[in-house]
Amino acid sequence: MTAATLTPSPTVRSDARLTFPRILRSEWIKLTSLRSTLWSLGLIVALGVGLSFLVASLGFGMEGASAPDPGAVVTTATIGVSFGQLIAAVLGVLMVTGEYSTGMIRSTLAAVPARLPVLAAKSLVLFLLVSAVGAITMFGSWAATYPVLDAQGLAVGLAEPGLAPALAGAAVYLGLTAVFALGLGTLLRSSAGGIAASLGVILVIPTVLPLLSLAVDWADEVAPYIFSNAGVAMARLPSTESVEESIGQTLLEPGLGGLVVLAWTLVSLTLGAIALRRRDA
Amino acid sequence: MIEARALTKKFGKRTAVDGIDFRVQPGQVTGFLGPNGAGKSTTMRMIAGLDRPTSGEVTVNGRHYREHRAPLREVGILLDAKAVHTGRTAYRHLLAMAATHGIGASRVREVIELAGLESVAHKRVGGFSLGMGQRLGIAAALLGDPATVILDEPVNGLDPEGVRWVRTLVRGLAAEGRTVLLSSHLMSEMAQTADHLIVLGRGRVVADATVDEVIARATGSSVRVRTPDLARLHRTIAAGDVTVTTLDDGAAVVSGLTPTQIGDAAASAGVAIHELVALSGSLEDAYLTLTADDVEYRSAHVTRTPEEVAR
Ligand SMILES: Nc1ncnc2c1ncn2[C@@H]1O[C@H](COP(=O)(O)OP(=O)(O)O)[C@@H](O)[C@H]1O
Ligand SMILES: [Mg+2]
Repeated sequence: MTAATLTPSPTVRSDARLTFPRILRSEWIKLTSLRSTLWSLGLIVALGVGLSFLVASLGFGMEGASAPDPGAVVTTATIGVSFGQLIAAVLGVLMVTGEYSTGMIRSTLAAVPARLPVLAAKSLVLFLLVSAVGAITMFGSWAATYPVLDAQGLAVGLAEPGLAPALAGAAVYLGLTAVFALGLGTLLRSSAGGIAASLGVILVIPTVLPLLSLAVDWADEVAPYIFSNAGVAMARLPSTESVEESIGQTLLEPGLGGLVVLAWTLVSLTLGAIALRRRDA
Repeated sequence: MIEARALTKKFGKRTAVDGIDFRVQPGQVTGFLGPNGAGKSTTMRMIAGLDRPTSGEVTVNGRHYREHRAPLREVGILLDAKAVHTGRTAYRHLLAMAATHGIGASRVREVIELAGLESVAHKRVGGFSLGMGQRLGIAAALLGDPATVILDEPVNGLDPEGVRWVRTLVRGLAAEGRTVLLSSHLMSEMAQTADHLIVLGRGRVVADATVDEVIARATGSSVRVRTPDLARLHRTIAAGDVTVTTLDDGAAVVSGLTPTQIGDAAASAGVAIHELVALSGSLEDAYLTLTADDVEYRSAHVTRTPEEVAR
């Protein structure tokens, strides 16, 4: 009746409405405007590159080597994955549980009431950002260690078959780890719970499984398919005899490892999506 | 317009909102009034699709909130609890909210100015006072230039200047033809701001009328009586919808009867009457009458829910 007297603000255009790219942009602004994000990502790069350089300088893993060993170079360059995955997981959990603990989630879901686009946008933004930072870390580590190894005649160039894909695999693994943790955080809605659950999957399962294999024989069979072992597989060279030897346990081929990590991530995201859709904000 | 039909929300065994029906019309300020725990916030969260109704439904301009393509242009909502990440600056928070709808930085600056937040816009929200937080929440609610504005206890934590600001703001929004729903557990605030009242008590609508009507109907039939033999008077006038409340000073307040009816009844029973005064109510009295536990439903003459009408 009185709608005719509504005075629209000229700064809110009539085409203002929800679209997925806009939700992506919103999530990008949210993720990059928190100091904790910048700290976490900075730490992944600094620790990753620093540790690789240290290991290469001290010659760990290449004792007595006289010829370049691509497998050892990959291992050295991707050494930062070990704690990089933990930082990525914490970042992924906090991306959503930080919204629950502060109440921000209600603002978020009031703006995007369909809810699932929020989780999709968070996943995509997080994956791209963490993978990119992972790539900077891995290729940065390779570059930082190159002169040290070159001086000993042990350096391996990026053109080496399988080397660049292994470094990229490590980067993508970090991105997927963050999204895997995001799914658990969405499911559990608590920072402590989400961090405990994701670190449990990443750290505790690979520790417990060898003990379990003393009791049951299927433990060895599932070992390559657990989250972090499949992640290690993503960051290795495709099989040759020397690779098998240096790893000392059976790992999946890099591509299959990637699919296994992706499957874990999709399961976690699905559980998170169901909780997000069903429960009150 | 907001329309609720048999809207119900249960948390486990507790019924927070108990099958309520109401309409909030555009062009006026509707006060959503009720004591703490009455179900106001829960109802508002259901309007914005944050809580799912156990049964019944609520629509905004004919659609469920989540079906709107531009929710922020449809409804702006300030929730009772803070709903902002404490680690982000006010500006980035608003920018992120606006981005979901492709609303630009110029509108963000506009609402920051409107809410008087210029000096703290680039500070992190964690350090904000309660009043600053409320202003940021209101700024966020106005981002999409929404046709419907829902504010849950907006004057909480505001200084007198802020309270005046909210009052002027919501009156202005209503004058522009918007639908405005404003909750409070404080009567005095509503008396000055609202045109229409929906009073909630224990999850039910106990009154839905203009402010004047609520006062007239809820308190119009109250009479203060002073008599040396209250017990006998009580027996004489006792009936279904008559309530007698004893006051501390020995007087009693009778509702459901006119002074004439009480006087006549006392005379015919031979009960002495020392005082007989019709109480012309304030909104405060009306509110207390409507929401006080012991008289909660019996005195709800202005209720318009179908259940109440059928009684
Ligand atoms: N998330 C919740 N879980 C359980 N009970 C709730 C929840 N939210 C509200 N309640 C209960 O529902 C009732 C109504 O609460 P609320 O809507 O906050 O009332 P008001 O805003 O009128 O003070 C209260 O008894 C409250 O304890
Ligand atoms: Mg409330």
